[in-house]
Amino acid sequence: MAVTATTPATRPPTATSRTGAAPVTAALVLLVAVLALVDITQGTAAVGAPEVWKAFTGQADPADASVVVASRLPRMTAGLLVGAVLGIAGAALQAVSRNVLASPDTLAVNAGSYFALGLTAAFGLSLPLFASSAFAFAGGLAAAAVVLSLSGLGAGTVRLVLAGSALTLGLTAVTEGLLLLFPAETEGLYDWNQGSIGQNGFDGVLQMAPIAVVGLVGLLLLARRVDALALGDDAARGLGVPVRATRVTAVVLAALLSTAAVTLAGPVGYVGLCAPALVRPLARRFRGFTRTRGFLPAAGLVGAALVLGSDVLLRALVPADVAVAVPTGVVTSLVGAVFLIVMAIRVRDTAGTTATERLRIRSRARFLTTTAVLVAALVGVAIAGVLLGDSKLLLGDVVNWAQGQAGRTVTFVLDTRVPRVLAALFAGAALALAGTLVQAVTRNPLAEPSVLGVSGGAALGAVLLVTTVPVAGSWGMAGAAFAGAAASSVLVFGLAARGGFQQNRLVLVGFGVAIAASALISLLIILTDPFNATKALTWLSGSTYGRSLPDVVPLIGVLAVSAAVAFARRTELDLVSLDEDTPRLLGLGLGRARLGFLALSVLLTATAVAAAGAIAFVGLVAPHAARALVGRHHTRVLPVAVLLGAVLVCTADLVGRTVIAPAQLGAGLMTAVIGTPYFLYLLVRSRG
Amino acid sequence: MRRLLLTAAAATTAALALSACGTTEPAADDAKKSTERITLTDSTGEKVELDGPAKKVVGTEWNVVEHLITLGVDPVGVADVKGYKTWDTAVPLKNEPKDIGTRGEPSVETVAALKPDLIVATTDLPPAAVKQLRKVAPVLTLKAADAADPIGRMNADLDAIAKATGTTQKSDELKKAFQAKLDEGKKKLADAGLAGTKYAFADGYVMSNQVSIRPYTSGSLIGAVNEKLGLKNAWTVKGDPAYGLGTTDVEGLTKLGDVQFAYVGNDGDAGSTPFTGVLAKDKVWTSLPFVKKGNVHRLPDGIWMFGGPQSMSTYVDSVVAALTK
Repeated sequence: MAVTATTPATRPPTATSRTGAAPVTAALVLLVAVLALVDITQGTAAVGAPEVWKAFTGQADPADASVVVASRLPRMTAGLLVGAVLGIAGAALQAVSRNVLASPDTLAVNAGSYFALGLTAAFGLSLPLFASSAFAFAGGLAAAAVVLSLSGLGAGTVRLVLAGSALTLGLTAVTEGLLLLFPAETEGLYDWNQGSIGQNGFDGVLQMAPIAVVGLVGLLLLARRVDALALGDDAARGLGVPVRATRVTAVVLAALLSTAAVTLAGPVGYVGLCAPALVRPLARRFRGFTRTRGFLPAAGLVGAALVLGSDVLLRALVPADVAVAVPTGVVTSLVGAVFLIVMAIRVRDTAGTTATERLRIRSRARFLTTTAVLVAALVGVAIAGVLLGDSKLLLGDVVNWAQGQAGRTVTFVLDTRVPRVLAALFAGAALALAGTLVQAVTRNPLAEPSVLGVSGGAALGAVLLVTTVPVAGSWGMAGAAFAGAAASSVLVFGLAARGGFQQNRLVLVGFGVAIAASALISLLIILTDPFNATKALTWLSGSTYGRSLPDVVPLIGVLAVSAAVAFARRTELDLVSLDEDTPRLLGLGLGRARLGFLALSVLLTATAVAAAGAIAFVGLVAPHAARALVGRHHTRVLPVAVLLGAVLVCTADLVGRTVIAPAQLGAGLMTAVIGTPYFLYLLVRSRG
Repeated sequence: MRRLLLTAAAATTAALALSACGTTEPAADDAKKSTERITLTDSTGEKVELDGPAKKVVGTEWNVVEHLITLGVDPVGVADVKGYKTWDTAVPLKNEPKDIGTRGEPSVETVAALKPDLIVATTDLPPAAVKQLRKVAPVLTLKAADAADPIGRMNADLDAIAKATGTTQKSDELKKAFQAKLDEGKKKLADAGLAGTKYAFADGYVMSNQVSIRPYTSGSLIGAVNEKLGLKNAWTVKGDPAYGLGTTDVEGLTKLGDVQFAYVGNDGDAGSTPFTGVLAKDKVWTSLPFVKKGNVHRLPDGIWMFGGPQSMSTYVDSVVAALTK
């Protein structure tokens, strides 16, 4: 992914103006000030511009004045602080990692903090703000440390985003699991998850401001060293800059900044990604912004404008009583998603083939043993899945059931349990196959149906149905999921089609669509009655709950056809996954072959999501593991990946159904819990 | 990886070989006597047929559980027993029912193992789950709430459960007693010169340093009860079509004006009592006219705001006591 290693922001080729920075900064300050003033006039109380004016001039009645002082001003200040802090944190992270995709979101800092706070809430700890921010800091810093140590600081940019998004997925899954398990204790955490800048008085802002100041001052003191890093590690070392220490310090300070933001307002999404990216074109024009000392404050101002602008926009579009329930972070995430997509389309895609995993050639015997062991494991897990559950059964029961002679209880239990086991098994297989196809076609280890926004689109379609039609049938659900997946994939592949599905563009556009889908899902859940949240969360987390045999039938059909097609075209898959030129030399229509395989994987994803919800990670982990086990020939990868996917989801479903019975966790959550460590282990092992 | 898989496969096979023979239940043998049959139609238009009054009943939502207990039918299975015990002490459980899992996703298998005569569910349950439960036992699916007629909805749910459990006499008594309680409460308030008082009921929760407040509009069960008591609902926000609940924040309370404000919290849930907690220092809160005058009332814990006649009767008593104090 060369896009993640574009020319460092701090050395623009065309710095034309020496003096323009001051007026531009002044204009930014003015913009933020105007947005801040408009923000103060909006809210649930009947306090508009005239009342605010009176309050400032000391003529308002005390009630209106207290609204301005104790509610509006804190909210505005929080928006200002959160936006500034996130913009600065993002800019610092991008500078030290020389990676334009680094941000508190993509380094899992936000997810780590959110997880830490979710954990304290689930255990019923009601902590003072300062203590909970310490927890959040520990969580965020730990997550960043894991991501950075796995990816190698500054080196692997693909790896950075990979590790970051993997950990984000895993941590979010666990936090959502906590939400499902402790609905009362974590009430409010779900919309808080999206980031809301509403404040109860100035206390929070006042407590977090010193942390923000420490972070900002620290980064400004570090600025010269950070500038040196832009020259490259060796050059920086030559100038006597301690590269490692500089990076670690900058990351800790950035984590501190985003912790302040997360504690104050929850994870307000993608401001840290957008703000520096918006400043970068400015830095190309005006020299004042090229240095870190100029760049950081500018990113802070743009961040503040983004957050306040989102809040103003939301309250201008939606009635105040509704707007109060919609978190600011949903709007910034939507803005961030659009931004990411535009950036992906405009960026010059200079990616060569991605550094492929170094894989040893595996023997045929090894392939056969692996397959045999996997088949045995699959049979074992499937049987265990049928026998274990809230009530344990024995094989004789199953035999009775199969012959239609079972007693009442056994019949009911198996009637509900067998479809769930089948749904998990086939959904796992389908997602693994889809992932294998996508990874072969895009030659990108990051590509996966959920990363490409296809799963997100399917989930959005389904949630749209769940929230609008009170009694949605399972067939309607499948249709809605398919419509969503089709729409999102047309969008993703359509936008990425320019230049024949180049890898970075495809993944970045997909990433953007995935973010937009999840933001829209949150918006839908919050805007419709809050009592649908559990229902939608349950569905989103990838659950086999309530599945019946008819739900599984389309999945089996699609899987059978796709597997046959994929296996028949296995040589083509090998060629497509090799490089850009070989297939052309051999006369293979590259664009058409890719389109065919992608269409197949969309179909697989949609039916899998309809049958078992949005299960992330399988499409990412299974093909990786399969290649590591049996080499990269698709003759061998396809069956092994499909078997691995089936075993993984079946196991996840079994564990989710049994560990905390009679309550249950979705298979998707368990997949993420199992999948994250394995994926990170893969990253460590392939570090080169 | 391979060794791991091999071990897993071997272990599973061994476990199966050791444990898998035999059955946990003898093969089917059905011979049922039918007594007086009961037929009724539930809120989804589905016909529910019973061989006789249901004795072993499972409830998937707390309101239907409360209905069952007040009708004298102790449920054999209840979703989230611990939560029920925390939030509905007005109508405590008299037995130790089996926990069937969460309210959103009750375990179909656990319900099946209880071999109930009847399952009382609500429309909040996913239709797919209801379909599966129907195979276990007759399922009476009741509309959980209806903002168009909350009290009528509550009574209709109570009646349906009473019919299915053969306790119609008891339900008539309950409804009469509740009506009497409403009339008595209305009279007491009127005698104290409180008829037509502007009144707002809410609950709220705290996350970090943000306070969310949930207004109970006229479409909520509590809101409807308030109006029967002759109180005037002061909320202007719009509620959702089922439960009649709105959303607002502290500054949204400024629109209430000079009212009587009441809420229910829970000592077992630290995030549920913002009004005595974080708001004590909030300038917007402290400058609200009803806060200045001390017209904020915390009603006793354990009144389930979406419950049945018993919870609502307790509520009426506590409101009357709070306002006439």
